[in-house]
Amino acid sequence: MSRVNIEIFLGILLVLITSSLVLVYGINEEERMAEYSAWEKARSIEVGAELFSAQCSRCHGTQGLGIQGLCPPLNDRNFFDSRLVEVAWSGTLEDYIVSTVSSGRLASTRPQLYPGEGTPAMPSFHENYGGPLREDQVRNIAAFILNWEETAQLIEVATGPVEDAVGTDITVELPEGDAVNGEALAVSIGCAACHIQAPTGPAWLADSGQVGIGERAAQRIADPDYTGNAQTAEQYLLESIVMSGVYLVPDYQDLMPNNYGETLAKQDVADLIAYMLTLK
Amino acid sequence: MLRNANLQDLRKKIGGMIDQRVRAITAGLGLNELRALVRGEPPTEKPNPRYKVHTTSFLFHIRPRYYEKGSTIFAHTFRLGFFTSFFFFVEVITGLILMVYYTPSPSEAYNSILKLMTNVPFGQMLRDIHRLGAEGMVIFTVLHMLRTYLTGSYKKERSFTWLTGLVLLGITLVLSFSGYLLPWDQLAYWAVTIGTSMFEAAPLIGNELNLLARGAPDIAANGLLRFYLLHVVLLPFAAVLVISIHYYKVSREHGISLPAKFVEGEVPPAVTKEAKTRVDFLPDLLTHEVFLTALGLFALVLGVTIFGYHAPLESVANPQVTPLDTKAPWYFWWLQGMLKLGDKTLMGIILPTIIVAILVGLPYIDRNPHRSLYKRPLAVAVGVLAVLALVVLSYMGLPEFGIKTSAATRIVQDLAPQEGAGPVHKIPFTQLQAGVYEINQTPTRNLCPDIDYGCPELESVFGSYTQWVNAAVERGDLPDGTGVMLIEDWQQDLKKVTFRIIWEEDNLAKTYEHHLFLHQDRGSE
Repeated sequence: MSRVNIEIFLGILLVLITSSLVLVYGINEEERMAEYSAWEKARSIEVGAELFSAQCSRCHGTQGLGIQGLCPPLNDRNFFDSRLVEVAWSGTLEDYIVSTVSSGRLASTRPQLYPGEGTPAMPSFHENYGGPLREDQVRNIAAFILNWEETAQLIEVATGPVEDAVGTDITVELPEGDAVNGEALAVSIGCAACHIQAPTGPAWLADSGQVGIGERAAQRIADPDYTGNAQTAEQYLLESIVMSGVYLVPDYQDLMPNNYGETLAKQDVADLIAYMLTLK
Repeated sequence: MLRNANLQDLRKKIGGMIDQRVRAITAGLGLNELRALVRGEPPTEKPNPRYKVHTTSFLFHIRPRYYEKGSTIFAHTFRLGFFTSFFFFVEVITGLILMVYYTPSPSEAYNSILKLMTNVPFGQMLRDIHRLGAEGMVIFTVLHMLRTYLTGSYKKERSFTWLTGLVLLGITLVLSFSGYLLPWDQLAYWAVTIGTSMFEAAPLIGNELNLLARGAPDIAANGLLRFYLLHVVLLPFAAVLVISIHYYKVSREHGISLPAKFVEGEVPPAVTKEAKTRVDFLPDLLTHEVFLTALGLFALVLGVTIFGYHAPLESVANPQVTPLDTKAPWYFWWLQGMLKLGDKTLMGIILPTIIVAILVGLPYIDRNPHRSLYKRPLAVAVGVLAVLALVVLSYMGLPEFGIKTSAATRIVQDLAPQEGAGPVHKIPFTQLQAGVYEINQTPTRNLCPDIDYGCPELESVFGSYTQWVNAAVERGDLPDGTGVMLIEDWQQDLKKVTFRIIWEEDNLAKTYEHHLFLHQDRGSE
């Protein structure tokens, strides 16, 4: 065989091998593309989580549970099930989120419950409307919010004064509290929105260098800088709930709703305090 | 009889007609000749019809009729020039297809790459081959130049070819670098931002040059469009033109140089004569080139399939966030290394200009008439030193060299880099057990008794974290330092990981904190 023959033979062999490699690679293409889509969505949620923490959590809560008297919950069954009907939105929920985040809200749609920060109730976030974020970042935030869809629970909204309200007298006699119920209430009322982590409200849980709220309440009343009237840990916690402005932990603003004295029943507050006292 | 004769006539007639068609298509080769050609047999007609092809066919007209046998020895050329042009063709073809899916605007560019990856069958393969081909083109261009230098093939009548080759080296580097920006990810954006900032160091017109390249003080829509047009129009056209000139010189004027051993010194006439024997283009060189093409395609496909080479894609470009470890493409590491040695104008503009000037003037500086390695000890020594210097400078160009990062930042960056996948990203999702892991408090073994097979990856990450922080404390970088790793369930399929390092500096407690979110479907990239 001459060199020409050998090279033609080897060349054909190589072309065949190369083609079969491409073919075998091609069989997996559908799956690869699906995998890459999933990866892209995962990345989007991760980036959205970072942006949400930086831009949205101050008002909507670190876990999106909302803050009564300020901003509505997003990690909420109602938000996913009935919000679009409520506002007669014709597009998808993603469109609704992207649109709201992009252009903000001049006026709140529920001024009684969630007046927001005044005017505008919510600032615009898209750079096209004077905000800090790019289109893809707004979409990442939407992806993060939409990821709550399957796990979101119903957040109950205390709409007005309840019977047997606790009032604002911190020396009031409270019934026996149930810590387990208190823990559930912390989520459904929305306490957990701010008090899980430090950016908005002081965290309840013990963290490195800081004891839990139960322990802290007892220490606080002995603190010379303390300006409130509580004599016991229970009273301190009650005071913080119904009259949050009396004493502010240094470095925090008074963002808490000021009507818990009217909207929370004695039993609920007792449960909450019982739960908080377990957090040492 | 009559019927037989008619049949024979008919066969002859049809045969003649087919032969005529074949000759028209092959620019003069008959059927028999074609058969002899692919069998590697000598020509069947006289005068040799294979030479006629070179005058009648345009594509063969621009190819040489023959090479001298001595110049086709593999160890003389290593086919480096051939593969350089092979990669150029691969780039043109894959590039043309990629253009179909690409939009050169900052808001769409990154999305169009994502769409290519998620919606286009073989989209990833195209991108990978285009990228691998670009690396190949740079590597083979440089090796081709090195070979030309070592065999002394730039001398005398080939000095102009050497000059066009240098222009092609420049075009290749800028082509590759301009393609870098197009995906519009962090890697691209910052590498090109740093690259174009080199212009600023140019005396007098630095600012204007920088503005011309970027289209604005910072790279944005204008800059991207400029790099895109540079990448798909100006440079490819320039490359085609200069490649044509370069190739014309080789194929039509002076041919590939013969190895020095056949032409220099006391060589028996018979040996020289043998080395100058003609190797015809048809069929020898053509089959060899087709074979090399098949080999090249095979290597590329092998690279992007079995060896799993993938074109990198980081997160979308963010002008507000400079990544910690930014580096230029590898073929500019030597320049980055030089920049660490001194002034930006001197190291970034003046010295490179001098280097280019030396390369351009090489055929005139090197007056040694010999081409044999043994008779050019100085040139060889300079060449070897230059290669060594390139390697050392490239090493110095790496971010690991000579750049001080604070200990806490370094530790966290090594565990969970801002871009790409670090050890933390490789922990399987199920092993990310929510909890507080404190250095020197939490044991580094048996972290997850609830999981059947434990969590070796999580333990290994926490182990490294503990070890690195403790080592930094011992070195005195983190006085009284300690750290904590927090894992929280954040959302469905989403965990939040926090690294917090606390140390004392000037009697003040300092804290470095880094959060990252990990989603289940992130998988191992």
